[in-house]
Amino acid sequence: MTEQTKSRGTALWGMLAAVLTTLAVVGIFYVAPEDADQGIIQKIFYFHVAIALTSLVAFMVAAIAAVRYLRSRQQRWDDMTAAAVGIGLVFTLLTVVTGSIWAKASWGHWWVWSDVRLVTYTVVAMLYAAYFLLRSSLEGDRRMRSSAIFAIISFASVPVSFYSVRIAQSAIHPVVFRRDGASIPGEMMIWFVISLAAMFAIFWTMVQLEMVQRQTERNLRHLKLRLEAR
Amino acid sequence: MTGRQFAALLRKDLRLELRTRETLTSVLLFSVLVMFVFQFGFANERLTKFAPGIMWATVSLAAILVIGRAWVAERDQKVLDLLLIAPVPRGLLAAAKSVTIFLQLFLMELIVVPMVGVLFVDGPFAGDLGLVAIICLLADIAIALLGTLVAGLAVFTRARELLVPAMALPLMIPVVIGAAGATRAVFGVANDMPEYVRYAELLAGYAVVLALVAYATFEALFDD
Repeated sequence: MTEQTKSRGTALWGMLAAVLTTLAVVGIFYVAPEDADQGIIQKIFYFHVAIALTSLVAFMVAAIAAVRYLRSRQQRWDDMTAAAVGIGLVFTLLTVVTGSIWAKASWGHWWVWSDVRLVTYTVVAMLYAAYFLLRSSLEGDRRMRSSAIFAIISFASVPVSFYSVRIAQSAIHPVVFRRDGASIPGEMMIWFVISLAAMFAIFWTMVQLEMVQRQTERNLRHLKLRLEAR
Repeated sequence: MTGRQFAALLRKDLRLELRTRETLTSVLLFSVLVMFVFQFGFANERLTKFAPGIMWATVSLAAILVIGRAWVAERDQKVLDLLLIAPVPRGLLAAAKSVTIFLQLFLMELIVVPMVGVLFVDGPFAGDLGLVAIICLLADIAIALLGTLVAGLAVFTRARELLVPAMALPLMIPVVIGAAGATRAVFGVANDMPEYVRYAELLAGYAVVLALVAYATFEALFDD
């Protein structure tokens, strides 16, 4: 792929993200029916769950890119791993924050230990925060290699974390708060799917932008060195 | 050949530990202090109900110290460079280090687990120690595997002592949940075998996942 088609692809993703996000916001607030039980606060569902799912996709993308880095040792895969983890981490933190707001609104507490997913996402966020600690304390080739390995280990532990928190909670506390079971009506579902697509488009646009940024920074550094060598 | 290499690697670690007794002594001292911190935090409460939690909080914190020591002697004395030049499969290095961590953890638990019983549990607990020992074995396998990987990542960094807890503790959460859950199911007056088995399965499953990840990534960790 040439540079030009690549940047055109990024621009298209960016436009798609903008259109979908606008559509989602308008649809969610003006078109989608208000939840009879929870009222306006239920609208946070469309963003909260979409962001949460996208963050898991981000970590999966990071792990796949990390495997490809270890196979090929091409720096662009390291760029993609770092970009995906970074954005995934932001999305995870947003999941925790929006989840906490929703918890406050519907159960009266900012933090509810029996909410399995809120707890697990926080653990996952802490795990991926360590990715950047590791990354920033290494240099060069080893930095790329070690962070790729950590991205793989972390992603492997994510499902186990979810499962373990779930069985621990159900053992002491029945799952009372079933909020997004399979029973969402169709006119809510459609806006959820659009919101999910919007979040994913935002994620993918940001990954590509960050990859371009990292590559440009490297080129710049390279040019500077060559200038200084003159 | 491989068997002899493995034995030699393991012997090196064990001899180092036997001669200095540095890791095990400090880890035991640390564990006792952690238990006292728990009790002081709760003033004069009886903590029987929380004994399994105290046990595994103590073990996981102590495990951080054990993991933090792995590969350090090799790094400081440049042994690691020589080991990497030697025609030893990387997987074998990882396996030997995992066994070392495993043995250190298990020896520590031989003292810490009964001590939690003595200090925190009202009533008899000696009969349950066998079941808890099985949990210790499973948990230690998981911690040893993730510890070998985390320590291998951290040993080349500038901020090793900060990175080990930051990476290892979130990875250890499933171990803590599984081990404390299983212990809670059988330790002291409780006797809930189905619950115990459920948590034991979680630990075993996590150990398998970690073993696969370690197998897949270890070559890349030490490939220079």
